[in-house]
Amino acid sequence: MKRFPFFLTLLAAGLGLLSSCTDVVDVDLPEPEPQLAVEGNITDQPGPYTIRLTKTGPYFKDQEPPAVRGAELVLSDNDGVTETLRETAPGVYQTRQLQGKIGNHYLLSIRAEGQQYRAATEIKRVPVIDGLTQQLKQNEPGWDDGIYAFYNGPELPGVGDYYRFKIWLNGELQNDPGDLVVRDDALVDGRYIGGIELNEDPLQPGDSVRVQLLSLPQDYYYFLNEMFTQINNVGLFSSPPANVRSNVVNVDPNGPRAVGYFAGTAVRSARLTIQ
Amino acid sequence: MKNSTSWALTAGLLLAAGPAWSQTVPAASAALSGTLRDAATGEALVGASVFVKALGQGTSTDENGFYRLVLPKGTHVVTYQILGFEPQQVTLTLDGDMTRSVKLGAQRQQTKEVVVTGLRAEDNVKKPEMSVNRLDMKTVKLMPALLGEVDVVRSIQLLPGVTTVGEGASGFNVRGGGIDQNLILMDEMPVYNVSHLFGFFSAFNPDAVQDMTLYKGAIPARYGGRLSSLLDVKMRDGRQAERLTVNGGVGLISSRLAVEAPLIKDRTSISLAGRRSYGDLFLKLIPEQRKNQAYFYDLNLKVNHRLSARDQLTLTGYRGRDVFNFADVFKNDWGNMGASARWTHQFSPRLFGSASAVVAQYDYGLGVPNGTQAFDWTSKIRNYTGKADFSYQLNDNNTVSAGVSGTRYQFEPATVKSLSSESIFRGLKVDDQQAGEYAAYLDNEQTLGPRLQLQYGLRLSAFDFLGSGTAISDYVGETGQRKTAVNTRTYKDGELIKRYANLEPRASLRYTVDLNSSVKASYTRTAQYVHLISNTTAASPLDVWSPSTNNIRPERGNQVALGYFRNFHDNAYEASVEVFGKTMDNQVDYVNGANTLLNKDLEGELLYGQGRAYGAEFFVKKSQGKLSGWVSYTLSRSERQIDGINRDQWYPNKYDKTHSLNVVGMYQLGPRLTASASFAYGTGVATTFPNGRFVYEGLVVPVVSGDARNNYRVPAYHRLDLGATLKNRPKPDRRWQSEWVFSVYNAYSRRNPYGIYFRQNADNPRKTEAVRLAVFGSVIPSVSYNFNF
Repeated sequence: MKRFPFFLTLLAAGLGLLSSCTDVVDVDLPEPEPQLAVEGNITDQPGPYTIRLTKTGPYFKDQEPPAVRGAELVLSDNDGVTETLRETAPGVYQTRQLQGKIGNHYLLSIRAEGQQYRAATEIKRVPVIDGLTQQLKQNEPGWDDGIYAFYNGPELPGVGDYYRFKIWLNGELQNDPGDLVVRDDALVDGRYIGGIELNEDPLQPGDSVRVQLLSLPQDYYYFLNEMFTQINNVGLFSSPPANVRSNVVNVDPNGPRAVGYFAGTAVRSARLTIQ
Repeated sequence: MKNSTSWALTAGLLLAAGPAWSQTVPAASAALSGTLRDAATGEALVGASVFVKALGQGTSTDENGFYRLVLPKGTHVVTYQILGFEPQQVTLTLDGDMTRSVKLGAQRQQTKEVVVTGLRAEDNVKKPEMSVNRLDMKTVKLMPALLGEVDVVRSIQLLPGVTTVGEGASGFNVRGGGIDQNLILMDEMPVYNVSHLFGFFSAFNPDAVQDMTLYKGAIPARYGGRLSSLLDVKMRDGRQAERLTVNGGVGLISSRLAVEAPLIKDRTSISLAGRRSYGDLFLKLIPEQRKNQAYFYDLNLKVNHRLSARDQLTLTGYRGRDVFNFADVFKNDWGNMGASARWTHQFSPRLFGSASAVVAQYDYGLGVPNGTQAFDWTSKIRNYTGKADFSYQLNDNNTVSAGVSGTRYQFEPATVKSLSSESIFRGLKVDDQQAGEYAAYLDNEQTLGPRLQLQYGLRLSAFDFLGSGTAISDYVGETGQRKTAVNTRTYKDGELIKRYANLEPRASLRYTVDLNSSVKASYTRTAQYVHLISNTTAASPLDVWSPSTNNIRPERGNQVALGYFRNFHDNAYEASVEVFGKTMDNQVDYVNGANTLLNKDLEGELLYGQGRAYGAEFFVKKSQGKLSGWVSYTLSRSERQIDGINRDQWYPNKYDKTHSLNVVGMYQLGPRLTASASFAYGTGVATTFPNGRFVYEGLVVPVVSGDARNNYRVPAYHRLDLGATLKNRPKPDRRWQSEWVFSVYNAYSRRNPYGIYFRQNADNPRKTEAVRLAVFGSVIPSVSYNFNF
């Protein structure tokens, strides 16, 4: 895992050499109290924007989470635009007119199952992607021979930018727990981010690579970072398991808490077909 | 500083020893002193007894083999004896202070016995010290070892009151304390990281170590700076050698070579030991792995020089390092180093003094040497310490110790450099920090009649957090969440930012019930000014130490212990039962998702709270005869309460183990063959299990109901290890001696869980599963070959 090493995932690779035997075991867990789970974004790209409401379920239950239907969702921004979302499928709520803008703040209010929740977010600035390039690696230490795709683009001067990188190989989003790549700019502030490889295994001519660069509000970066820790938390140097933060807050502090996130992001993308 | 109270208490301490201070030694008495040595090797005999049977008076030799005894003037028969040696009786006439050094010859049958300790078995009952375990390297070397690597830290984990979060984890936990709460001294040099290879092997080369003592409570006032324990590791100093002696060994993991020699007979001796692992040498045989390096090494040097009959100079040096280098793509190395110089002087037969200068360091580096991701990252902690200690025998009933020490710390948490203009990385530095730690102590060991002995002292410690020409901040915000830096200001280099001081009273008493049993009690207060910042199950080599600052307050501990000590069968069995209770405050913890590395605002991500631990320890040890070893059982609890974790409620520490049983046995099967076995059983470590889940953008995220922490236990840990040592056939006039050491680690192949983890199934991401991680899931046999000549 060498992609986007702004932070040092390389050490983890070193430690991986010591990874030992694991096996699946049976564990009895008590039934949890179902909680509202929120998943949704507003971006600087054209809508509609989708917010999905479900309920948390028992950890080992691998069925589709139950949808929360008939909720009232209202999204507003700091320009005074307010829109009530429409339920287009069970638990799926969508906007029709609202347009996300870099620099704007957003407030989502949710009335669901007798509880009132609020989630605030904003859309942060994002740099451009200059483009993706490809390179043939042969007999280079640390590389398997073959073709690799690389990311190239500037990072904006000024510390405090946070990013997520999403990668599609041949149209398929790389979405294993280890593929959640979120980075801060503390180590790379204002530098040119060039020559960062996007694939671990060599590519073939005709393969397509697509990258999305998402700007993240700081709190959403923390959410995704904590989530990465919790879903990749195995081994000698694991962190204490703990709940990932959420920006969905019950207005009644004693009411049931929600999980998940409603986030604002600005999105830039680039694609490359391997020659 | 709380000057007024401290001085008042110091004065009080002096008054408590009142009769001693005001009373001069009766004119009819005189002091007899000297050194006891092994006649064959010249090695100082520690803990030997020196007594006058007719008077019922006696003492034992200290760590340098010195003794001193105040006796009425006249003629006495003095007996010198220690386990494993022929006792000696000396008749002498004392008409003034006199010196008498004695050499004892080894007992004939000694080769048939396994000596578990160089100390007198009676000490278990007769000394006022409690909560102490000593291990001799001779014993440790006989115990079964993982992959043949004789391991100081693993052997300590077999003692009562000591636990760990799991095998392969760095360090050890004493009576419910954190791994950074152990003061680990190797000949006075603090050792910041006790592990090689992330925790799999200990940083102590067995050939360089003489013995070690673990103080779990009742820590002498002379020592401070850590909350929970003192591990005092003594290096071999070459005084043992009558001639050039070479020790060596070849194992699966590493090879060792040690040389001991008298440079100038009876004056100067040297001990030099080295160890290096060589797994990477095999990597060179595989073409793709040729450029990879992965090894560790240790170098230990100790020189002992007798300046005069009354002066001794000791110089020690240590360097140990782990090195990883993956084909020049990525490299990482870390290690301890240190040096110390110690001068001991005998002012008079009653007054001893020593002065030491110590420097010690832990540092690491990692980086990518080439390409667009080239960077170099270094981190370091270093301390310079000077100290002076005195011990004065006032009279038969009082021995006073006093001393001062001063330490300057330098912290360089992280410096990242960009290595090329095309690198995506810029430079980044987490500001350096400086601090000073100072201490003074006074301690008295007092005998009150035939049954009661007391040891009481007071340590005054102070800590200055000093400026480094860099900015510091306060942090505000909601407890349990990241806090924001405010009031950022800059302090000049060396300028005082914050001062802390603590009074640390220490006291223990021994009450003799009868010849074979005693009751002991102790109270210990400790303060800790430096903290290991680590938020992972096992500490990683990249964890950094932080001083106490304007935000991080010193940790303080209070411990009481009560024990019953009894020897059986003419001291063949030593037994003890101890109960202890301990409180700890200003414990450091972390907000969820805290970033402990490369974080300028680390202090905004720390949480603080309190800890408590209590328990009972049962210990039986047999040191003599063909069968030797020990059984220890500990029933204990270790918990903490941190505002912002577990809904602010108390919860068990990761290393809390309700039950812990250890059995270690060594059996002399014949003149050449010794068999050994050790068995360990412990309650599974505490861990957090989620019970709910939600799906976020296709990834399954666990939910822990009620924000619980450590609400479950992994299954119990148990393991049997077996070992055997076969010596070569002895031949007269042959100096070459060798032995084969066989070990079987995890003999019945148990997959002891290090932890239970929850994750998505790799093939079906919707499916979630619990997985057990076992660090060692099979039997691990090993063989090594040792020699000396």
